[in-house]
Amino acid sequence: MPEATLRTLSDPGRAGPVSRLSRLAPVHWLALAFLAVALGFAAVAWATGNGFYLRLATEALIFAGLAMSVDLLLGYTGLLSLGQALYFGLGAYVSALVLRDVAPSFWLAMAAALLAGGVAGLIGGVIANRVKGVYFALITFGLAQVAAKTVYNTRALGASDGLIGIPQISIGFGPLSLDTADPLSFFLLVLALTVAAYAGLAYLMDAPFGRTLAAIRANEKRVPFLGFNAWRYKLAVYVLAACVAALAGALYPMLRGFVSPELMFFETSGNAVITVIVGGVGTLVGPVVGSLLLTALRSVVGSWTEHHLIVVGVIFMLSVIFLRKGLVGALLARLGRRTGQGRTTP
Amino acid sequence: MTKTTLLGTAALVLLGLGGVASAADPIRIGVVTPLSGTYAPIGQQVRWGLELATKEVNAAGGILGRQVELLFEDEEANPAVATQKAEKLFQVNKVDFLTGTVNSGSTLAVGQLAERNGRLIATTVSFSDAITTDKCSPNVFRVNARAGQQSAALAEWLAKDKPKAKVYYLGPDYEMGRSTVAAFKQAAEKTGAQSTGEVFAPLGSKDYSQYFGQLRAARPSVLYTSTAGNDTVRLLTQMSEYGLLRNLTIVGASGTVTAQNIGAIGKAADGFVTGVGYSAELATPENQAFVAAFRKAYDTAPDLYGADSYGLIGFFKAAVEKAGSTDTDPLRKAMEGLSWSTPQGTKTMRAGDHQAIQDMYAVRIAADGSGNRFDVVGTVPGDAAIGSDQCTRF
Amino acid sequence: MADLIDYLQFVLAPQALNGLSLGVAVVLMALGLTIIFGLLDVINMAHGEFYAIGAFLALTLAGLGVGFWALLVLVPLLMLPIGWLAERWLIARVFHSRDRHILTLLLTFGLGMIMEDLLKLVYGPNTHRPENPIEGGTEILGMFLPNYRLFLIGFGLALIAAVWVVVFRTGLGAMVRAAAFDKDMASSLGVPVRRVYAGTFAFGVALAGLSGVLLAPIYSVFPTMGRDFILMAFTVVIVGGMGSIQGAVVAGLLLTQVQALSSLYISPVWSDPLVFGIMVLVLMVRPQGLFGRLGHA
Repeated sequence: MPEATLRTLSDPGRAGPVSRLSRLAPVHWLALAFLAVALGFAAVAWATGNGFYLRLATEALIFAGLAMSVDLLLGYTGLLSLGQALYFGLGAYVSALVLRDVAPSFWLAMAAALLAGGVAGLIGGVIANRVKGVYFALITFGLAQVAAKTVYNTRALGASDGLIGIPQISIGFGPLSLDTADPLSFFLLVLALTVAAYAGLAYLMDAPFGRTLAAIRANEKRVPFLGFNAWRYKLAVYVLAACVAALAGALYPMLRGFVSPELMFFETSGNAVITVIVGGVGTLVGPVVGSLLLTALRSVVGSWTEHHLIVVGVIFMLSVIFLRKGLVGALLARLGRRTGQGRTTP
Repeated sequence: MTKTTLLGTAALVLLGLGGVASAADPIRIGVVTPLSGTYAPIGQQVRWGLELATKEVNAAGGILGRQVELLFEDEEANPAVATQKAEKLFQVNKVDFLTGTVNSGSTLAVGQLAERNGRLIATTVSFSDAITTDKCSPNVFRVNARAGQQSAALAEWLAKDKPKAKVYYLGPDYEMGRSTVAAFKQAAEKTGAQSTGEVFAPLGSKDYSQYFGQLRAARPSVLYTSTAGNDTVRLLTQMSEYGLLRNLTIVGASGTVTAQNIGAIGKAADGFVTGVGYSAELATPENQAFVAAFRKAYDTAPDLYGADSYGLIGFFKAAVEKAGSTDTDPLRKAMEGLSWSTPQGTKTMRAGDHQAIQDMYAVRIAADGSGNRFDVVGTVPGDAAIGSDQCTRF
Repeated sequence: MADLIDYLQFVLAPQALNGLSLGVAVVLMALGLTIIFGLLDVINMAHGEFYAIGAFLALTLAGLGVGFWALLVLVPLLMLPIGWLAERWLIARVFHSRDRHILTLLLTFGLGMIMEDLLKLVYGPNTHRPENPIEGGTEILGMFLPNYRLFLIGFGLALIAAVWVVVFRTGLGAMVRAAAFDKDMASSLGVPVRRVYAGTFAFGVALAGLSGVLLAPIYSVFPTMGRDFILMAFTVVIVGGMGSIQGAVVAGLLLTQVQALSSLYISPVWSDPLVFGIMVLVLMVRPQGLFGRLGHA
């Protein structure tokens, strides 16, 4: 392990997302292109009156939020979370309860989910960050298992049935308002939130905070000598990821009108990891692209065969072996070669 | 068939040609059912029952002169997947009706989606009482027996066959397991049974031997269980291993021993009694014809899921013919109060809560090496088993 | 006093004994995991599916008339090439990458997913169960224990001892331990490191397959059976110390006892969180687990 990290540190090509914003990096161009495609898709779907595809795309973006939070940990800090669905599900349940029992307010639901995600992330982070590497992966896996089981057995939370009857709401922006029941407006809102999350996180990862994370990923033992407390940074990024996942989860009941314990199950966490790997780890835009592609793929393949696990599993394994940086990474490498920029993503 | 249909439909929609159904168009029924994962065996029976009935209906000229098409989607026993697939069937494939959900979480979530899309659904499997009581929906019908009906039938048999039985309860520790045990306990105590204790094991337990000490110490004459699938296989075979099946009558919920797991349970299933809405051994000509056709097509006997799903097509056909269309409002009206015939006997859809009323049976399993039989040992008339209408939403 | 003896004899002791048979089952699963981790640093997420393949292989061969005792030899032998190929074709491809911990974990996770679905494709979703090869039971001090469980405990303990002897008392084991301690050094001393890696992975997979044969008669066989033991097995491996054989044995027997005995006093639903809580505590106090890892202790 140590010799491998030394190699990384001395290799400028792999030095992480350092100074990526100094000029608009290819990855951001890709994000912009993606945004244009998404808007084009929305226009076509709206013009043909296809609510289903808009709502499917909205769901893909919501799960992209979960995948981004996995990417924050895996791609930027080197921590593999196998239990990120814990925070996604938490956000979904908190949002569902607020919307159903407190007030049908978007902002209140998001704020409550953010708070819950932050607090739970702090607790989970203190536990999980005691350990590193595969131990971290297994402990996050276990934490989510225990939480999911608890929800599954708690009658007040609807137990195995989950909660239905989450109202469709209208969201006020000063004088304007939009309705979650309208596929186009809710898609545009979730798209805007996704873009905002991408921009905010990408900025943060380029800021000193992100550089320190990159340093931790490269060689954690050296970080203290630079005057940083690695543990505190890792806890901070863990809480940040939990908050992102919880916010994404909070959108789920607004779209589907229910929550169920399956949202916290390992399948959900595992899918998020698959999404990140296939899309492109450490790019932030990769998880979004991956989520949209995999959601579309599952929707199509699922109608053809019940053996979709084989299809997704093979794509996933091929990505792990051949596309170390996922689809986005492969695309960037091509672009980079063509424009003569050797530098791609971290 | 399904694949080409789907592809064709998808192509039509993409071309913007999908639209109002004309009389020549087939009637489409969406089936969102678990085809993968732990509930896949149930989904398989659902699929077979529906396909067989549809084949028969189509051969006899269809419904209102229109053929019936089934469009299957795998819901993975996950409500989040089920709603997404159901929405696709409603909005892209424009199905006229939807069925197939297995776990009650999926049925409830898809039921709500049906309300928001102004369509109707029916479940043929979920037996959680909530679906037709406190969480009832004007757009959801249930053609199978709910937990309360099953308990009533079993409790009546118990009172007659084993009066004043000392009963021990072993359930899987989740909402359905607990409520099923509670419902049966209440019904059994009312008819004179005595409860000697209860234990709830986690869902998917590997080893039940750790509960056998408590079970032995309680010295029951009857054990009631509401485990299902693989859990039952382990429970019963491990009890047999430990010699606990002697002098103990095992009774349980309808989903505890089914065609899916009885092969694996083997001799340990012998003597198990359950309250259920169906048995392949029902001696009516309708049922014998159904079982023969089912065996011929799928090389196995139907279980309650297969039979209830088969009967659903008859329900839908009768309702559409009565309503003269597949539009939601007239169809709902036609379904409410409808009586139709099934291999299980005549069923009636109660208008007040959309719960089917049907005769219930106490069924004893004979697994004596010469193949397995589900012998009917008692019958409770539908009206006696159904219980009161507790739905207040419509 | 008589009550206490009654309680010990009829409640606690049988519970502990039943816990022991579950414990042996868990240790068998954890053993393969911990050996693979100890040498290759690979978290084998597909371990449960290899266990399932072993059970299904046993089912198929038993259907062809192969006896139970022959299966105990035949199935592990058939699993060896499967494990070998999995290592050579998949693990080895990402083994020298700097993220190999995570990459191999992901790779085996994907592999497990595919294998589970393949089993369903081949065998259908239903549950199967081979006949119990040793019927009947034995009374020990007034406690009833099925003969097959007694056999399982005996055979399992013998197997664990055999694995220990192979790893710590043979030349083969020395090579494995040397490769685990320092692969470059071992390589320059003439240890065929690549083959040792593949062989160890195959060995761990064969152990999982053997567990499948042994446990099928009491735990039954179905495509998703691999998920059953995996959380418990990982917990055992972590608590015992990743890569430690003694650790896996001690932690496996200890944790299943905790589970068995605690279920007398608290709702069994809480026994999983309890065991997991113990794992968290161990990690807090002693992140390397109870024992050191293979080749380092």
